[in-house]
Amino acid sequence: MKGKLFAFEGMDGSGKSSQSALLRDWIAQSRDVHLTEWNSSEWVHDIIKESKKKELLTPITFSLIHATDFCDRYEKFVLPLMRIGYVVIADRYIYTAYARDKARGVDSKWIKQLYSFAAKPDITFYIRVKPEVAYNRIKSQRQQINPQESGHDIFPELDQKNGFLKYQSMILETYDEIAEENNFVIIDGTRTPREVQMEIRSSIRGIL
Amino acid sequence: MNKGKLISIEGIDGSGRTIHSQDLKRYLEGQGYGVLAFGLQMSRLIGERITKMKKDMIFRRRTLFLSYVTDLADQMELSIRYGVESGFMAIADGYTLSLKTWGATRGLEDSWMSDVLSILPEPDIRVVLVSSPEEIMRRLISKRGFLDPLEAGMDVLTKGDVYESYRNYINVFQNTIKTSFPKEKQITTDNNFEDVRLELIRYVESKLEA
Repeated sequence: MKGKLFAFEGMDGSGKSSQSALLRDWIAQSRDVHLTEWNSSEWVHDIIKESKKKELLTPITFSLIHATDFCDRYEKFVLPLMRIGYVVIADRYIYTAYARDKARGVDSKWIKQLYSFAAKPDITFYIRVKPEVAYNRIKSQRQQINPQESGHDIFPELDQKNGFLKYQSMILETYDEIAEENNFVIIDGTRTPREVQMEIRSSIRGIL
Repeated sequence: MNKGKLISIEGIDGSGRTIHSQDLKRYLEGQGYGVLAFGLQMSRLIGERITKMKKDMIFRRRTLFLSYVTDLADQMELSIRYGVESGFMAIADGYTLSLKTWGATRGLEDSWMSDVLSILPEPDIRVVLVSSPEEIMRRLISKRGFLDPLEAGMDVLTKGDVYESYRNYINVFQNTIKTSFPKEKQITTDNNFEDVRLELIRYVESKLEA
């Protein structure tokens, strides 16, 4: 394929959304670029939002409806744009599903098969921070941790903070487990945003 | 408590799936069974949305396939699985085999579809309904008043007018379903309703007794 695909992974509060936006703006100066975000398909994301609020999802339907959302963006944007030669940046990619679905007890092998149609990114940046750091970051920006971030559907008994720390630790564990086999470029997310961005840019220079 | 059975009625739109699954439901209820009805595009979660969005998504086949799986899984997870566990009969108006055939006619990989669908239980009893293209089209026209190009698989095979395209699509779909699943019980629904009805009921009864 002519285009390039760069994916960002990391827990909530790791800074990956800011980093992917910064990278998009930088690349846009010289090339066609498209940023796609997790859970943003035009026709699925509102169903996901609504059904999470009403707690209608089981681990399997949670997994499948996110796969539907992903696939919709994949078939509508990612694949055709890459064919044309765009740089596509994914703020969360299939590894997010690996981590989140696994935390809900879904069989890892099945999740992999489910997403086996998706192209492997040219680079996957894994912005790594500890859950405590991510928690403090989010709390310094807004009052509330939202229920998705604290895994409220799996740990309804825990308060926001403990839910967040426990859920995000599980996510971190899966990312760490799969980092090597998926060639993640691990980025220390505790440094300043500018330092992180410069490291990302220098690792894609050769590829672009 | 005895477990119930999962029964799937499979086939293309217009094969008689809906009418015969409804009839089978009434029959089994008459025999004293509790019966749950479900099927393709019938979930609360995403069923209606699929109907609305289908036209926009005809070339996003994998997405459409996954939304159908989500749709079936939602029904399975929220009610059907527990229903069957606790003794109900569940009849699917279209299930995994219809869905796989839909995908196969559109080039989706067989192994990928099987992997994804492995999350849903295999039915205890499965019946494939087939019919001649002319009969299927006659039924669709009497239901909707015209042949809907989208339903006609126009995204797959465009060949002459809507009639020729539809004919062609039905042949491809039904050949795929027959050759991919040769061991499944097939019933031709061209015969009069009562004959088909009795053949279906006899088959299901024989399975229930076994």
